[in-house]
Amino acid sequence: MINNKVSFKNVSLKLKNNFSLKNLSFSFSSLGISIIIGPNGSGKTLIAKLIRGIVKPDKGSIQLKEKKSRISYLSQKPTFLRRNVFNNLAYPMLINGFSELETNIRINHLLNFFDFSDKANLSARILSGGNKQFLSFIRSLVLDTEILILDEPCSNLDLKSNNRIENYLKSIKKKKKIIMVTHDLFQAMRLADEILIINDGRLIEISSRSDVLKSKEEFTQNFLTRNIS
Amino acid sequence: MEALIESVRLILSLDENLYEIIFLSLKVSAVALFISTLIGLPTAGLLSSTNFFGRKPIILIFNSMMALPPVFVGLLLYVIFSQSGIFGFMKILYTPTIMIIAQIIIIFPIIVSVSTEVLDSIFKEYEEFFDSFEVSVFRRVKTTLFDARFSLITCVLTGLGRALSEVGAIIIVGGNIVHYTRVMTTTIALETSRGNLTLAMALGIILIFISIFLNFLVLLIKTTTKNNSYD
Repeated sequence: MINNKVSFKNVSLKLKNNFSLKNLSFSFSSLGISIIIGPNGSGKTLIAKLIRGIVKPDKGSIQLKEKKSRISYLSQKPTFLRRNVFNNLAYPMLINGFSELETNIRINHLLNFFDFSDKANLSARILSGGNKQFLSFIRSLVLDTEILILDEPCSNLDLKSNNRIENYLKSIKKKKKIIMVTHDLFQAMRLADEILIINDGRLIEISSRSDVLKSKEEFTQNFLTRNIS
Repeated sequence: MEALIESVRLILSLDENLYEIIFLSLKVSAVALFISTLIGLPTAGLLSSTNFFGRKPIILIFNSMMALPPVFVGLLLYVIFSQSGIFGFMKILYTPTIMIIAQIIIIFPIIVSVSTEVLDSIFKEYEEFFDSFEVSVFRRVKTTLFDARFSLITCVLTGLGRALSEVGAIIIVGGNIVHYTRVMTTTIALETSRGNLTLAMALGIILIFISIFLNFLVLLIKTTTKNNSYD
């Protein structure tokens, strides 16, 4: 398997609100779950959007070993078309050239797998916050892409749904690259093979979960102490 | 009151001349609406879904054109299509064709402007979703138009209402020729000036009924499609 499916090289970006990402250079490991953590407003979501190409860097480059169409992105604020659940899931497949038959099989499989079949004909927009979040997660899986970028996928979920997503991610992590943004340090510790810590647009460190726990970086130590204790 | 009773009697008598005028009005306005909608909705979709240089000035122009004086449109078309005008050779002055063109010029900006407002809000909401799935501009326009279809019906019917009530432009370019270019509004203007209030009143009543019918249609569509709109 090719190493480092996603690499940042000297990436800088300044937003209108003056927040900036400052000369980021790092590579994510080729498989498994990489978690981006950091305080609120540190630039986690921006990194996720940069990888997906929703935002372009001012300087530097993001190198991807996969075509952009082979990357799925789950937004922190899920948006759904004015259609029912089934058609919201089918849309990405149909615009990517899948046949109606393939789409129906795939969507029905995912709906059954995640016990969401009973909601297939409901408007996606009237679902509860938690169900919307869960549907957004299912939608990120429909294209069966090699890279999954998940921005706070469990933020509105109950414990059962949260566990379901975590278990599913663990079950696919040997075949896919999952890059996940979370503010939940406990979740990061449960799932991460690799952790990227960011603060104020600067990379603090990127290393394995065990190395992060033993880190000598002052910010990392303080961040872990503050959030775990 | 007498004129009112007479006009109702005229409507109920199924007078051939009266219904000829009504059908021509509906035909001219329907064709103008069809063409304006066919071009107007994709234009509005494109204006909402893309952020090209000059987008805002174009929207500003369309918004300003909503207030275009119909008499001026009529005058402009008259100058262009009269015998000595640059398109005089087409010989369409005083025909239903030029009346359709006049109505298109008047209602096209209305359909574009009002639809752009509706589509803008939906597109802003969908933008990140479209970006995350790399949806093409064509598909963005198509998706946004499809999802806004029930709201857009109101925009289109606004255009139809404007077309049916138009008088200034079509009286100049159509000439109000009996059995050929005479429509409801131009007949009302002419017959009122002649003092024939019965026919004018009858057509006025029909116009009001059409207006009520259109509003009822909008309400009906909104009510019956509420469950299908998934909003």
